Amino acid sequence: MKWARLKSPWVLHFNSGACNACDIEVVALLTPRYDVERFGILLEPSPRHADILLTTGVVTRQCADRLKRIYEQMPEPKFVIAIGACACSGGVFEGNYNVIGGVDKVIPVDVYIPGCPPKPEAIIDGVVKLLKSIEGGKQSGKR
Amino acid sequence: MASADKILKALSDSLGKRIIQTRTLQPGKSYIQVQTGAHKDAVRIVLQEDNEAGVSAITGVDLGETIELMYHIRTCDTIITIGAEVPKKDAKIESITDIFPGANFHEREVSDLFGVTFEGHPNPKRLILPEDWPENVFPLRKEVSVANIPSKIGNFGVSKDEKHVSSEERLVNIVLGPQHPALIEPEKFSLRVDGEIVRGVEPRIGYVHRGIEKAAESRTYLQDIYLVERICGICNACHAACFCQTVEAIMGVSVPPRARYLRTIILELNRIHSHMLLLGHAGLEIGYETLFHYMWRDRELIMDIMEALTGNRVIASFITIGGVRRDLKEEDVPKIKAELTKLKERLSFYKNLFESDSTLKMRTRNVGVLSKQDALKLGVVGPVARGSGVNMDVRRDEPYAAYNEIPFNVITYDEGDSWARLMVRLDEVGESVNIIQYALDHLPTGPYRVRVPRTVPTGEAIGRVEAPRGELFYYVKSNGTAYPERVKVRTPTFANILSFVHIAEGGNVADVPASFVSLDPCFSCTDR
Amino acid sequence: MSLDLNFVFRVLVFPGFAFILLFTMFCDWVERKIEARMQNRMGPIYTGPVGVLQPLADFIKLLTKEDIVPFNAKNFVFRFAPIVSLSIFVFSFAFLPIDGASVVSGSNFEGDLILVLTLVSIANFLLFLSGWSSTNPYSAIGATRVLTQLLGYDIPLFILALAPAFLAGSLNIAAIANKQYVPFAFLIPWTFALFIINLQAELEKDPFDVPHAETEIVAGYETEYTGRRLAFLKLAKDVQMVLGAAIAVELFLGGPYGPIFYGLSAVWYTLWFVLKLLIVVVVTEYLTCIFARLRIDQVLVVNWKLLLPLALLSLAVTVGVGLWLNPL
Repeated sequence: MKWARLKSPWVLHFNSGACNACDIEVVALLTPRYDVERFGILLEPSPRHADILLTTGVVTRQCADRLKRIYEQMPEPKFVIAIGACACSGGVFEGNYNVIGGVDKVIPVDVYIPGCPPKPEAIIDGVVKLLKSIEGGKQSGKR
Repeated sequence: MASADKILKALSDSLGKRIIQTRTLQPGKSYIQVQTGAHKDAVRIVLQEDNEAGVSAITGVDLGETIELMYHIRTCDTIITIGAEVPKKDAKIESITDIFPGANFHEREVSDLFGVTFEGHPNPKRLILPEDWPENVFPLRKEVSVANIPSKIGNFGVSKDEKHVSSEERLVNIVLGPQHPALIEPEKFSLRVDGEIVRGVEPRIGYVHRGIEKAAESRTYLQDIYLVERICGICNACHAACFCQTVEAIMGVSVPPRARYLRTIILELNRIHSHMLLLGHAGLEIGYETLFHYMWRDRELIMDIMEALTGNRVIASFITIGGVRRDLKEEDVPKIKAELTKLKERLSFYKNLFESDSTLKMRTRNVGVLSKQDALKLGVVGPVARGSGVNMDVRRDEPYAAYNEIPFNVITYDEGDSWARLMVRLDEVGESVNIIQYALDHLPTGPYRVRVPRTVPTGEAIGRVEAPRGELFYYVKSNGTAYPERVKVRTPTFANILSFVHIAEGGNVADVPASFVSLDPCFSCTDR
Repeated sequence: MSLDLNFVFRVLVFPGFAFILLFTMFCDWVERKIEARMQNRMGPIYTGPVGVLQPLADFIKLLTKEDIVPFNAKNFVFRFAPIVSLSIFVFSFAFLPIDGASVVSGSNFEGDLILVLTLVSIANFLLFLSGWSSTNPYSAIGATRVLTQLLGYDIPLFILALAPAFLAGSLNIAAIANKQYVPFAFLIPWTFALFIINLQAELEKDPFDVPHAETEIVAGYETEYTGRRLAFLKLAKDVQMVLGAAIAVELFLGGPYGPIFYGLSAVWYTLWFVLKLLIVVVVTEYLTCIFARLRIDQVLVVNWKLLLPLALLSLAVTVGVGLWLNPL
């Protein structure tokens, strides 16, 4: 059971207000140089199919509601990874008028990957750390 | 094609007394302030004098009691600005969308952020701010400080969707986004669909609006470079370059030759990586995953070069006011050249693919056609315009960095369909590789940076850069302190969004992602 | 009454249920590896040796996820369409000789070709229903595209399948497979080529990938499914792929019949069957990787204006060739 979950983590990528730098590093994960399909990670289009939500970017006021709804649409067990300095804590945009802040102001986050943008290797490292902690018995975050 | 003097003469002849003052912002760029009612005539005259001119941006500046509206019109080699002031208490002015439809979104943005009402505007709805934003709070006015704006964190409701009451029953409302695998970024496009034909499109942007223009006013110029770089990660060097150019124009500082060549190199690297990103993404949109993987694999060559040059793969942080931040090491040059040669070989493979693959052509030929007339009327820029036969390129029209010393071609295609736009980008990659090779061969020696004072003298300036997606426009006004008075950014996708509406209507739903991706939208640029 | 153990074994394990499911997962792995290699990547390599257990891991993981049924969905159809569809696909295997004899001895009869093709169409229709009952606009569009494509390729499928039936003189799949001293793919190669193209359409692979157009309609008819039902839905699609390839193998490549070297004929027959099926899988996957996705109206144009007339033409030619070889 747990073996299956560890070997087949499907991800959903959502940009809630980012500058695209983190997003293109996430998309670069699928490309031949980094190829995360080796680990069984597939990029899924629908929130209902995904286990892990990769969010990039700071949360703007318009996206906050969408982010929450997407998180709720994902079936349990689910995990959230915040990628980039903006998703972790607001980055350079902290305090701007349309910006709420980091992702953890809206949904619970399991792994924070800092960087601006983090290199794809850093993102893979973050995902692997999450998988290790799932192996160690981590439960999905509370709403 | 009309020279600036001819246009100025025509303006002063027809408007005469209604011109309040004329001044020069910087060498070659004039500013003509007219009475409030006369701005429309002034814009019309300029557009008539130069039939390829277009309104580049509409800037609003808060001057205390009044709001100054500047209509920046792009002619063949410069920008002519028409200004008009409206009192804050009664901020109303006539809309120019009937003579230039491309001004639609610019006016909506100014009305959102400054509270100016444009009379006669066909669609005066909110553009950038969220739906549940309080009515009378206009963020870019000086009296509104960021701390005042109530942060209602628990109160983010569902944005009140514009209800499209369609007159015919069988029209289905499909909403593309904000979370959609086709778009990497969140934006909402409501399509009214009849079977498989699109009847109407309503874009709603603003999901990535981070209030950068306001934030720039409370940070120093040096901090602002880091801020504007992160408007868009893909074209970050262009934002930094444009901002620095504009501030250097205010200061009257000229950048050493080596720095100009290094800036050219990083700008062209940015262009290559952005175009290859888009071409791969286009493959994904039309279902051609193999193309996506191959293209991004080759793009990694460029990312390696950028990492060698700047230390980071995506956000360069390379350009600063007065030059560049670090030098290019001599031993790196042959490595970079080797990678570029490899890339050039791969390009001929892709060129062959785009010209001969049948399923690819079936999806992109004659799909999303934008005629030259429409391109001019809507004010589109960049490869979208060049794919429809409009010959505009800031690198040639108003050279910056080292472009006046490096020979290159401006690529245009006349078909105006998605295929033409993709081919323009593919060919531009080839041109960029040539430019970088030339720049590396002719790199001048010398300092790569001059020190500049921390405070900037009073003044204003306009800067333009040819970003991968088109003309990037900056207007910076300084008040003599270490903080800018106003920073206005008009990104290329902002000018191009109207074309999406135009292209999608009347076509298939299935073509929407394909034509959409050929416009290369970058919403983090659009929303700032 | 004693339970016929042989019967139970044949139905449940080999070449029945368990074999079909495991073989389907193996083919899924083959597909992913081929797609990855053609795209210059590696595909799954860590789950099990060379990543072979990846589809199994996916399946088990989906079974353990929370099950969500949307508020508005038509409950009964939403819940049962995937599993019924899966069952029909698996059931169709009963008529295909895999190890020299069909799953349940005596189950094949004259006319079972028509039955199998009909069952495939019904199961596809159930997939459409699964999308339709989700009441999500993306699912609805995906579902209607499935149906549109179904109408387009079904008729050519039947016509093309008649060609080997005519050559073999029977509508019994086992008999058709048996009569191929020279595989029909070599006798009537044009029909075989058209059949493969038709198979691409039936299996919803590029260039006929339209119901799955990820970038346009999110996940098509699978959008609202989670957990168990998604697992069954995906499995149904994979079994459909293996079934389609198996039909192609039976009709055109001589089924499991091939040279026996020594030992149990059943083992050799199975080996040949697996080998030929993998060849078909490789060919279809290769075609998928080198084409882009056509629009739905372009798919219809290809189906009705291209495939259908060519199918009729090929049938006519086959009849001519057959009559010439075996004058009535």
